[in-house]
Parts: sequence; structure tokens; C-alpha cells
Amino acid sequence: MNKLKEHKKLLLILVPVLVILLIVVIVAVSIGGKGKALEPTVDLRTASRNMDTAVSAGKVDTAKELNGHFLVAENSGYELYLKKEVMSIIVRDKATGATMESTVTEDDGKSNASWSGFMKCGINLDVQVGNTTQQKKVDLLDSKAQIEVTPTDGGFTAKIDYPQYELGFSLTVLLYDDGSIEATIPESSIYEESDVNKIGNIYVFPMLGRTRLGEMDGYMIVPDGNGALINLNDKEGRFASPYSQRVFGNDVGISESYVLSLFWGKYETINESEYILAPVYGMVHSESEMAYLAVITSGAEGATIMAYPNGVFTDYNWISARFLKHTLYNEPTSNSGGSVVKVTDRFQYDISVRYFFTKNEDANYAGLANRYRDYLLKTGTLVQKADEFRLRADFLGTDRENWMFTTKAVEMTTTDDIRKIYDELKAEGVTDLLTLYKGWQDGGICNLPVSSYNADKSIGGTRDLTRLIKEAKDAGIQFYLYTDALRANPSTTNTTFNVIKKIDTRLFTENTYKEVYSSMHYLTPARTSELLPKLVDSMVKKDVDNLALTGITNTMFSYRYDGKSYDRIDTAQMQATVFEAIDPKVNLALEEPIETYWKYMDAMIDMPVKDSDYIFTDESIPFLSIVFKGIVPMYSDYVNFEANKHEFFLKLVETGIYPSFYITMQDSTELYYTNSNDLYSSQYSVYKNTMIEYYKALKEFNDHVAGATIKKHQIDGKIVTVVYSNGVTVTIDYSNNAFTASKNGSVVMSYKVGDAE
Amino acid sequence: MKKWSKYLLAVLLVCAFLSPVTAQAATPYKTYTIDGYGYVTETQTAYTPYKTIEKIGKDAFVSPADMCISKDGLLYVADSGLARIIVADLEGNFIKYIGEGLLTQPTGVFVSDANLIYVADKGAKQVVVFNYEGEILETYGKPTSPIYGSELDFKPMKLVANESGTLYIICEGNTNGIVQLSPVDGGTFLGYFGTNFTNISFMDLVRRIVLSDAQRAKLLSNIPSTPTNLSIDEKGLIYTVTQGDYDLSLKKLNIAGNNLIIPDAYDEQCAAVATGNYKNIYVASSNGYVYEYNSEGELLFVFGGRDDGRLRVGLCSKVEAIAVDSNNRIFLLDSDKKQLNVYEPTEFTNLLHDSLELYSKGRYEESMEPLTQVLSMNTLFDYANKAMGRAYLQIEDYDNSLKYAKLSKDFDGYSDAFWEIRNLWLKNNLVTAFLIIVAIVVLIKVLKVLQKKKGIFNPVKQVWEKVSEKTLVKQLKYSTYFMKHPMDGCYGVRRENKSSWICSGILLVLFIILSIIYKYFCGFLFKTVREGSYNLVQDIGVVLLVFFALTVCNYLVVTIKDGEGSFKNLVSAYSYCLMPYIVLMPFVIIVSNLITYNEYFIVQFGTMCIYAWVVILLFLAIKEVNNYSVKETVAVIFLTAFTLLIAALIIFIVYMLCSQVIDFVSTVAREVVNRF
Repeated sequence: MNKLKEHKKLLLILVPVLVILLIVVIVAVSIGGKGKALEPTVDLRTASRNMDTAVSAGKVDTAKELNGHFLVAENSGYELYLKKEVMSIIVRDKATGATMESTVTEDDGKSNASWSGFMKCGINLDVQVGNTTQQKKVDLLDSKAQIEVTPTDGGFTAKIDYPQYELGFSLTVLLYDDGSIEATIPESSIYEESDVNKIGNIYVFPMLGRTRLGEMDGYMIVPDGNGALINLNDKEGRFASPYSQRVFGNDVGISESYVLSLFWGKYETINESEYILAPVYGMVHSESEMAYLAVITSGAEGATIMAYPNGVFTDYNWISARFLKHTLYNEPTSNSGGSVVKVTDRFQYDISVRYFFTKNEDANYAGLANRYRDYLLKTGTLVQKADEFRLRADFLGTDRENWMFTTKAVEMTTTDDIRKIYDELKAEGVTDLLTLYKGWQDGGICNLPVSSYNADKSIGGTRDLTRLIKEAKDAGIQFYLYTDALRANPSTTNTTFNVIKKIDTRLFTENTYKEVYSSMHYLTPARTSELLPKLVDSMVKKDVDNLALTGITNTMFSYRYDGKSYDRIDTAQMQATVFEAIDPKVNLALEEPIETYWKYMDAMIDMPVKDSDYIFTDESIPFLSIVFKGIVPMYSDYVNFEANKHEFFLKLVETGIYPSFYITMQDSTELYYTNSNDLYSSQYSVYKNTMIEYYKALKEFNDHVAGATIKKHQIDGKIVTVVYSNGVTVTIDYSNNAFTASKNGSVVMSYKVGDAE
Repeated sequence: MKKWSKYLLAVLLVCAFLSPVTAQAATPYKTYTIDGYGYVTETQTAYTPYKTIEKIGKDAFVSPADMCISKDGLLYVADSGLARIIVADLEGNFIKYIGEGLLTQPTGVFVSDANLIYVADKGAKQVVVFNYEGEILETYGKPTSPIYGSELDFKPMKLVANESGTLYIICEGNTNGIVQLSPVDGGTFLGYFGTNFTNISFMDLVRRIVLSDAQRAKLLSNIPSTPTNLSIDEKGLIYTVTQGDYDLSLKKLNIAGNNLIIPDAYDEQCAAVATGNYKNIYVASSNGYVYEYNSEGELLFVFGGRDDGRLRVGLCSKVEAIAVDSNNRIFLLDSDKKQLNVYEPTEFTNLLHDSLELYSKGRYEESMEPLTQVLSMNTLFDYANKAMGRAYLQIEDYDNSLKYAKLSKDFDGYSDAFWEIRNLWLKNNLVTAFLIIVAIVVLIKVLKVLQKKKGIFNPVKQVWEKVSEKTLVKQLKYSTYFMKHPMDGCYGVRRENKSSWICSGILLVLFIILSIIYKYFCGFLFKTVREGSYNLVQDIGVVLLVFFALTVCNYLVVTIKDGEGSFKNLVSAYSYCLMPYIVLMPFVIIVSNLITYNEYFIVQFGTMCIYAWVVILLFLAIKEVNNYSVKETVAVIFLTAFTLLIAALIIFIVYMLCSQVIDFVSTVAREVVNRF
């Protein structure tokens, strides 16, 4: 009896202990896998000294003077002059004598003290004093900075100290044999000894190539969307603010507060401008046939590109990048709105900008884009892929709508539907297709994140999807499974752990403004690095090897997780590590990826055909298209949502981008009560003929230029001429809705939009 | 129907925004349309920025105030800073000045079909009429008529003139309405036109009664607002916009000054109005939003937006005037950015305009072609769905009409189409239906006879009797008795133990189920919730909360007021009181699915009867269960209401205190984290 009692006692103790242990294990597993995250293998913080070309060495005649500047380096093409006191440089084209200056010597008395100081110096700072909201403009003259210049092979190194502010850094400028100049400020050289004064922003040669009012024909190149130009004509004071955009988009982790006026007090009716995908900007002096493209080779994540047309604060046209080192954020101290303003830690990265100069017939945006492409290919930032024409037909599998206590699937396009569509298109001769299958995963398009290859039953299930993918592969169709690797849906997944908080420790929530799932969170890059390889592995097991990604392709953010702060470069490095890990296993189609991830993409999705329509941009140019055409296939935004379909078609011809359609088998009214209700037109039966028409015309055109790159591009009012490397010249007439392609003077194709209808 | 779509407008919860799912549009702004529930949804870009005009000739605008496009396609801009009218072609090329040196501060300009240029010169307090050559034909000063008001100043701001030359003038500070001036005898004052009215709220009324004269004088004066801007169409109808006048912000006035439309969406900051080439109406808000309505005031598009330092083409800062040319290009005059923004319609909008024109001319069948194209570009475009439904109705394809009407939440159209379909069905099936009914009656008779003679249903009957003997079934059956004999019924509940918790629970569950079915599955015309939206947890919670809160409060009151009912008695009696709803609602639900607006009253009457019955039962239940007099019952009801109020208050206070404590703790915690 007693023994039994003892046993009972023991049991009484043991059972709860076991239960607790079990719970702990379960919790640990569910939080779990922190250890499984990849270790970052990519370093984006230090400027990689790409010694692809030698620096200019040899004897330099340092007594040679130009406009108060003395020669510090030269090679067969260019001379580099320096004016030490103000760190001003002049680059001179030896053949033509054309120059580009980085400062303004004369004082027209029009600008205020801080701006005239800014214009006179080659290096400028915004200093963050304490936690004041306005950073202070600091130039070399006014702050009595001490500069010590050491000449080196092909350039110089300057140690710049600001004793007033107890901070400083060193700058290295080198002239390369390929006619490019690189300016670098290594992170290791930066010091800030004061507790109060911190470096807010650094400007490196902001006014290089500046012109005054309309004194010189030419333009500035802004990497907005596909590309845009700001002409160097007299703007007659029309503009009061500059173009200023953060490279790779804004940082959602540090929300900058600015007043928005919302439609009916609720709706943000403005389309956000296109992200800057390429960290470049350019200045072209058409008159003197001298141009440069500045490529930010390190520190792009912290850079903001600014273009000042004349009339904005000064009479000069100038374009530059600004590098952020410290900024402010509000840390809330109560739930009811109290907060303290804090300064972030210094963003740790080397600043490095490389200016590629071109001359003569290459002194224009097409020439610069070609130069940029060469650079990208040489450094492996861009890799030659198979660029063949395909029509992109994306399908939406399923989304969810509310039903009673739960949600139910709305099937839009099942695997059988896709088979049927492929068959019908094949019968019409449409064979070269690329498909992103959206909303294939269990639970529909909004069930994020996706960590295993598991298709929704309503579209046919995993086995059938695998079969479809195999059939598609055999038919030569590239079939990609699409997912968002950044977002997590709090309604379908446990997002208590593994999602990011903003720098101010508040949970980051993205409002979808939709009914079924009203918000999304962002996964930490570490979590993405666990889940995505998992998904890829489970796909590869079933021989599925095409993956289309969005979210992580162009969203850079600072965040707080587990008590630690991470900056945008942490995010970029971690995401690059993920790409590095999955790239060998699958083909990747990436949605508008930033330059850092270009080398991983086998297709670029949602390539913008134009810019974001800023008031100062005078012309939209296909800058990125020129870079990518013939290297990587580019697919456009959806034709469905274009209100001007004729113009859009011609834009596709002009930019060499391939058309995209978003297709569902069912009528899109079915989607009315789902999160995808902005897909207002997608039914296959409606778009079938348009798809065929687009395919036939664009296929024929692209066959003429297959594998070729764009050499020249010229806009003359409504007429645009594009010259390809294989000698094909395309003339697009926007006023007439027509285009012709000719080779060696004879027309090989002539097409008028709308005739086929 | 319009009314409640407007109501929903006020509680807009959802709209179509760009999600991670779809791609970005090309313009800097989004274009929206509105559905039958008043929900905002995104649509194809309707207008794209065409160009921006900052200068005409050599002169940049100084303070542009108004603009007009004449019939022959010339642009007239009144610049009050330059004190003249600038005439240009539609591309912004300078043609000439009018009124140079003759005008003081022109704030309004209108050009008639006969090319007479009417200018409202606010500075000179007069209206000046020029011919095309720029010669002054006439000036009109302040009307001398006593009806105008001798105290009132004459500061013309905006104006239009009709074919006969009658002027409609909006004057600054004149709240009487639009000044109507005949050109006869150098300007005869005809009276005030299209006067706005003030809204008197319930609180205003209370204040008027309670407050003294002196106190009342301190309140904001309640005077009608002056229209902001006006426009005239070919038929001489006057359109006015008034800021902050809710759904009277946009008015379409006939010659008698009566308003003909109520727009289904409006802007608080509307600044200008214009009519287009298809009887469509354009309203610009000063924030840069442009609304396009059809002639009925139904919103087709809204697009645009405020610049807010984004520096994107097509966004505005402060819009003063809107005009539309013969190519349907929209001109917006921005006084803050001192420029003219020109927008051109997209292929999508052109298609819609084509269908608008055909439809408004009654060529329904033809209008279906462009409408089909519009819908192929946007299947969710509500106006097109509606027009399509109406067109189908006209060509007597009722099934399709019904489909489109339902899609576009066009209740009237739905009702009409449904009426026709039902009519056809009845016509085709009346005989069959009649035969079936006769057959059923005969069958029942035959079965009854058979039962009497041979007892074929005896086994079933036996089972039924067995079941009926179960207490719960008895109790449930008793509920129907209760419904008809509440006094007796209450006695049974109290004394004869004819109820149980389970029985009450079952009734309550039935009630909840029926109320949910009625809410979500009643006929389309009666539905008060948006299709596809379900909020069951809340629905159930509300019923349970109300039921139990009332019962508990009532019980508390009853116990101190010498009531005889126990808590169980009360719960049982009250759940029995829901019986009329449970019994009759299924019929109402079925009927609601079968009727049109013509028989709307049947359902209304039915539901009213149910509610009245339930209320009477409740009253009697309180009275009988507790053995109260009528007076006592009324007192208890009031006390229950009061108790409920107090209970709600206490819960609210406790909630507030708790949240304060939580906030305090979290603030301290954050502060500590911050410091160390």
C-alpha cells in the first residue's frame, strides 16, 4: 500500500515535470531553428579593390596648372588636377581639352553662405549636432578643416580633419588606365571623437561636371525607373526642390515622418516612385562631348542620389550622391505618444564612387550604359544569361475570401486550366512562354511565408503541379513558382518570433488595406535564410528547379531583432547570402532586383519601361534596358493594367522588354472579396487574342535582334531610333503607332499597332 | 439605395490599394472608382498627364484665378495678379490679352458661344463684358434693386452666362445665393438663384431652446455657405460646387433653381466644376483630385492628388479652375504652383465615353460593344456593369441583366430584372405549379383516408408519440403554446416547471442561427451587409451579450422589486418570447428571396409584426413571471435600462483604469530600458 502511495507521489511529481519538459521542447522547436540560419558570406561593407585595370603610374608634371588646380595624375586619355585647399578636382580630356570641374570658383553672390561654401568645396558634410533635427552644412573653408595630401601612384590620398567638430577621415582618389576615376573614403579612416558631433552625410565631389544655367548643352542622368534625363537648359527658376531619392528605396525600419495628405483622410492615392535599382548617376556635356557615369561601388545602401537643376538654391546644375552615416529616430517611451529623439549608431561601410568617363560619340546615355554594362560584366555583378524572347503569362492559382468563421479558397486557375491554356496557345503558335505561377501554395497567395513545396488542393495538389511542371519543361516552357520571401502573414502563420521590429523597437506592420488579410510583417533576413533554402530543397527533390522571388529582391531595411540593431547592409548581406546558397540549385526570376542581386537572376521581372514622371525630368530613357538587353531577359509590368495599350506596345519595342500578362481562367470578378481584388482584369478568354497578337509581333521583332545589345538610342520628339549591335536599326514612331526595323538599309519588319485587331 | 451607399461611404473600411500582388501603374497617381456599396476600388488609369503650362507667351502666371475654354478652342485665363485676361491656344501659345489696363482684379472669366467674354472683376466690383476684339460692351455694377440688399457689397468672383445673356454671378460674402442678372436695361437683378441651405442638427435645436440670446450670439453663426464655383452646360443647366456641403457639394440646377442630382461621392474641398462632352460632370478639389461623374451624379473616376513635395508630374497644390476641351483633355489651373496641368484621357476612358454617349442617347444595344471592351479591361468597373445590366434589361435579356445588376449593386435594376424573370417564370410554370399544388392536396387527402382506414402511419405515429413524451420535446412544444398564450405560458414556466436550461439554450441558438441567415442570406434587395463580408463572431457575440446583459440586469432589478421569478424563470420566459421570430422568420427569409421592390412592404410588414409580437411577449413575460401590475412592469423596464447603463459605465471605467495601469507600467519599463 505504502509503496503504491509512494509511486503515486512520484508520479505526481514526475508527470508535471515531464509535461513541462515537453512544452519547453515544443516551444523551443517552434521558435526554433535559430541555429539553422545561414552565416553571412557576402561582404558589402568594404570597397572591394577591383584592380581590373591598372592605376596610372609614372612621372607626372606636378607644376602643370589649370584654373588653380595642379596636376596629380595622368594617363593616355585624361589628366587629374587637384586644388588641395578645397579638395577640388578637375578631369581633363587630353584629346579634346574638355574639362569637368568639381567646384565653383567664382561667387555670384546669389547663394547664401552655406550654399556658396558648399559650391566651393569638393568634399562636404552634414554634421549631426546632438539630436537637432536639422543637420548642419559644413564645408572645408568655413570649418577650417586641415587637409594633408599624399600623392600616390595614379592619384592621391588626403587626410581631412575637422578640429572644430573633432572628426575626420581620409579620401583616396585614383585615376585608372581605362579612363575612370575612383574616390574612396574607407570606414576605417573615419573617426568621431566628440559625443555631440557626428557625421550625418558625406558628399564626395558633389558638383563634378556642374554647369551654370543653360551655358552648355547636355543632361544629367537619373536612375529613376528605367532611366530619366534632366536637360541642362535654363529652368527659369521653375523648380524649388531637387530630385532626391534613396538608392534601393526607402528604409522602412527608420520611418521618416512627413506629412501626407490622404484622399478622404484615409487613402494614399499616390503611386510610389520607382526604386533606384542601379546605384548610378551621370552627367553628359553634349557640347564638349565629355560625359561620365558615376557608379557607387560601395555604400550604395546608404546613398541618396540628388539632382539639382538650376534654380534650386543655386544657379548650377549638379548631380551627386550623399552618403548617410548617422540619422535620427524617435524611440517611443509610452504607448500614448511620448518619445525621445535618438541618434543611430554610425552606419559602417566604405564609401566608394567610380566615375567612368566617355568621349565623342560615346558621350551620351547609351554610351554610358554600354560602359556600365562592360563594367558589370567584368566585375561579375552581371552575368551573361540566355536572353531569348518569351511571352510571360503568369497565372494566379488561388486566393482566399472570408466565409463564415474562416476563409475559403477562390480557385482562379488550376493546373488543368493551365494545361488547357498552354494547349490552346500552342495551337495558335505561341510556344515560347515563361510563366510565374502565383498563389500555388497551400492556403493561397497570401499564405506567407512558403517553406515547403506543397501546392493547394484546390488547384490540383502537389503531385499534379509537379506533373504540369514536367510537361511544361518538356514543351520548352519556363515554369516558375512564385513566392514572396520577405512577408509573413500574421493571420495564417505564427509571427510572434522571427519578424522584424523597426529601429525604434516597434513591430513593423505593413498595411495591405484589404479585407481578408489586413496586414503583413517582414521576416528577419535570418529567418528568410532558413526558410528559403528549405523551400528550394523540397522543390529540387521533386525536380522543380525554377523559382521566382519578390520581396527580398529590392527591400532593404534597418531593423531591431532580439535586442540587436541591424542596418541595411546587414540585410543586403544576409539576403545575398541566401541567393548565393540557392542560386546553384534553381533558376531565379527576380522581381525588380537591386544591383547587388543582378548576378543571381536568370530573368528580370516587372522591369519598368519608363520613369516615375518627376516634374524636372525632361525625357524618359531606357538606360537599364540598354544595360540588360542581350544579357538577361527582361519582362515588363502586366499589360492588363495599362490604360494605353498601343503606347505600351511601342515602349516594349523601344526598350527590348518582353511582354507580360496576368491571367486567370475564371472571371476576375471572383476575386472581388479577396486580397487580390486589385486584379480587376485578367480572364484568359479576354486576353487570349491580345496575347497572340503581342507574341507574334514582338517575337518577329525580337528574332531580328536576338542576342544583340543596344548600341545607340536616340530620341527625336515622337520618333525614337535604336541601333543594335548586330546592325539592326529600329525606328519607332509614337505619333503614328508604328515601328520599322531595318538592316543594312533594307526594311526587315514594319508594323503598325492596332492593325491586327 | 443611394442613401445607404452614401452611408457606407462614411464608414469606408476597405479600398483597393497596390498590394505586393500586382504591378505599379505608370502615372504618379492612382485612379479609383466606387461601387454600389460606396467602397472605393482601384481602376485603370483614366487620364495621364499630358503637359504642364507654366508660361503663356513671355509672362509666367502671377496669381491665376480662373479659366475658360471657348467653343472655338481658345483658352482664356484670368490672372488677378496681372490684371488681365490671357488668351492662348490649347497648347499654351500666346494669342493676345484682353482687358489690359481695363481690369483691376479679374477673378472669374466666362466665354459665351457668341464669343462674348464676361469677366468678374472683384477689385473693381463690377462685371465687364468684352467682345472678341477686347472692346468693352457693357459693365454691370451692384444691382440697385432693394431685393439685392442695400447693405450687401457686390464683389463678383465667378460667373457664367446663358444663351440669352442672363448672368449667374457668385459674389464674395453674399450668402443669399447666386446673383441672377438680366442684360436688359443695363443689368436687371432677377433674384437669387440656387440658394444653399443650412443644416440644423438636433443639438442646435436644443441649444436654441436652452441658451439665452447672449449665449446664442457667441455660437458660430449658422449661415448658408456661398457656392465656390459654377458652370453651365449646353442646355443652360447650372452646376455649382460648395465646400463642405456634403452630398449637396455638387448641384445640378434647372432653370427654376431645383437640384437634380445627388452625387454618390463628394469632396469636402471642391473648388471648381465643368461639364464634358458626354453630359458628364467634372469636379476638381483644391487638393488636386478630379472627380468625373456621369450626368446622374454617379462617380466614374477620381484621380490625382496633392503634391506634398513629391514633385511628380500631374499633382497639384491648389486648384482654382477646371476646364475640358473638345478632345476631352482636362485642364487644371493651379494658383499655388502657378501652372496649368493638362491631362489626356486614356484608351480606356475613351471607350467609356463612347459607351456613355450611346447609352445616354438610348442606343443601348450599340452601347454594349464599348461597354464589353471596358469590362474586358476592368471587369470590376461598377458603372460599366450597371450600364450593361440596364442595357440588357432594355433588350430584354433579363438573366444577364440580373447578373450585371447584382455585380454592380444596382438595386433598382436588379429589382426590375428580377420582376421580369419572375413574371416569365410564372407565365411558363403557372399551370404546372397549379397542378402540383392540386396533386399535393389530393395526395394529402388520400393519405388521410388511408390512415383512417388502414392506419398506414401508425408506426410513425408511435415513434412520434414516444418522442413527444420526452421532457425536452415537451418543453420545446410548450414554446409554441407560450407564443399564443403568454399569460398562461408564464404560469407554466413559473409553477409547472415547463422549461429547462437546455430548452432555453436551444431556442437561443435557433434565434441566433435565424438572425444570421437573415443577415447573410436574405434576398439581394434586403441585404444590409456587403457581399462576401462575414462577421459571425460579432453577430453571435452581440446577441448573447444583449440577451444576457438584459436578463441579468433585469434579474437584479426584479429581486429588489419583489418579483417572484427566479433567474431560470426569467431566462426561460425570455427565450420563449423569441418564438415568433423563430417561427416566422424562415417565411420572411424565403419571401425576401422572391420579391422585388414592388412588394417590398410584405417583408417590411412581416418583420414589423415579428418584432411587435416579441416586444408584447416580453412585456407580458416580465409582468406575469414576477406577478407585477402594469405600472410596476413599466417601472421595472425603465429601471432595467438604467441598470444596464450603469453597468456599461462601470465596465468602461474599469477598462479605462486597467489600460491606464498597463500604459503606466509599459512607459516605466520603456523608460528604464531607455536609460540603461
